[in-house]
Amino acid sequence: MSRFHFTRELIEGPIYRKYEKAIRGVWNAKDLDYSQDAADWQRIDDDQRRGLLGVTVRFLAGEQAVTDELVPMLAAAHALRRYDWTMFLSTFLVEEAKHSEFFMLWHDRVVGVLEPNDVAAHFLSRSVTVDPTGRFEVKDVLHEALPRYGGLLMDAVRGGDESLIEAAFVRFSAAYNGFAEGVLTMPSYEIVIDATLMWDAFPTLREGFRRILVDEGRHITFGTAACRMLIERNPGYEVLVHEVFDEYRGNLVGLVEYQRAVPGLDLQKYQTMKVRHYRNRCREMGITPDATLIEQILDPEIDFVVGVEAG
Amino acid sequence: MARAWRCLEAGCDTVVTAEDDQQLIVAVNRHVGAAHDSFELEDVILDAAEDGPDT
Repeated sequence: MSRFHFTRELIEGPIYRKYEKAIRGVWNAKDLDYSQDAADWQRIDDDQRRGLLGVTVRFLAGEQAVTDELVPMLAAAHALRRYDWTMFLSTFLVEEAKHSEFFMLWHDRVVGVLEPNDVAAHFLSRSVTVDPTGRFEVKDVLHEALPRYGGLLMDAVRGGDESLIEAAFVRFSAAYNGFAEGVLTMPSYEIVIDATLMWDAFPTLREGFRRILVDEGRHITFGTAACRMLIERNPGYEVLVHEVFDEYRGNLVGLVEYQRAVPGLDLQKYQTMKVRHYRNRCREMGITPDATLIEQILDPEIDFVVGVEAG
Repeated sequence: MARAWRCLEAGCDTVVTAEDDQQLIVAVNRHVGAAHDSFELEDVILDAAEDGPDT
């Protein structure tokens, strides 16, 4: 293997440009002032606290999960000799760690909770979800799919077969960048932004979300661009993306629990936007959207709430 | 060269155009905000932007 990786093609390519953009946009969660949010926490009522904390605690757990689970992608970039991917992923990893730090600081300084047992008390579990029609199963993508697909990717890297590494990378990236970051989480950001604007409160939580979303846009489009490159070379990989989305279909077609936990929000808006994000991800990957999935997301009769036991 | 971006919100097929990428980011978010009470991420817009007709 060559000791030198830089080429003109690499430094003019889209992934290296994302790396450059990430370096230009570095921010520090400790530079934010959390005092107004702490004052706002004291003035909102118990229902508002419960609704908001249900979302933010899932972000606190989720950002730690995506930090912990990124290593297989780095290992795959090395195995596939994509130094531009490795460079970008180094910024990706530090940004996810920083996002988790932001939520740690916010919960500590605003709510006064930090230790695992204290925050876990507010975690909304999705394993209790029951779709009353029995058609859909709801799983936990971040804490179940990512470790599993990551493990399979590490197995492929250790095996050394390039086509198996590529296939495992597509599955992992579809779950991580396409599904979790790119579709499932996007309404959650907007729910927090909408709720805090409606309450005229928590400016630093919104500012943190704004900065995190700038980073996430790069992460999502790195994953979908990488998948597109691999799918263009081997169109057979497209079905792997659909298999991942199909496995976690229930999580997309159901309403997110905190759509209902925060009173006063327009529930249908968040379902409709899931379709936009899903179609965006398919466009970026160069694949055909699953029309049935889109119909199911928009179907008003499919209204079970993820995280809530029906009946 | 003008730049163009197609909105993929359910029921919307609007094509937003602008003189360059930076103006396109602003124009797309103006559309997504007004039509869908939402926003779109900069890198998502840039990755799907195409050359469009001169405006």
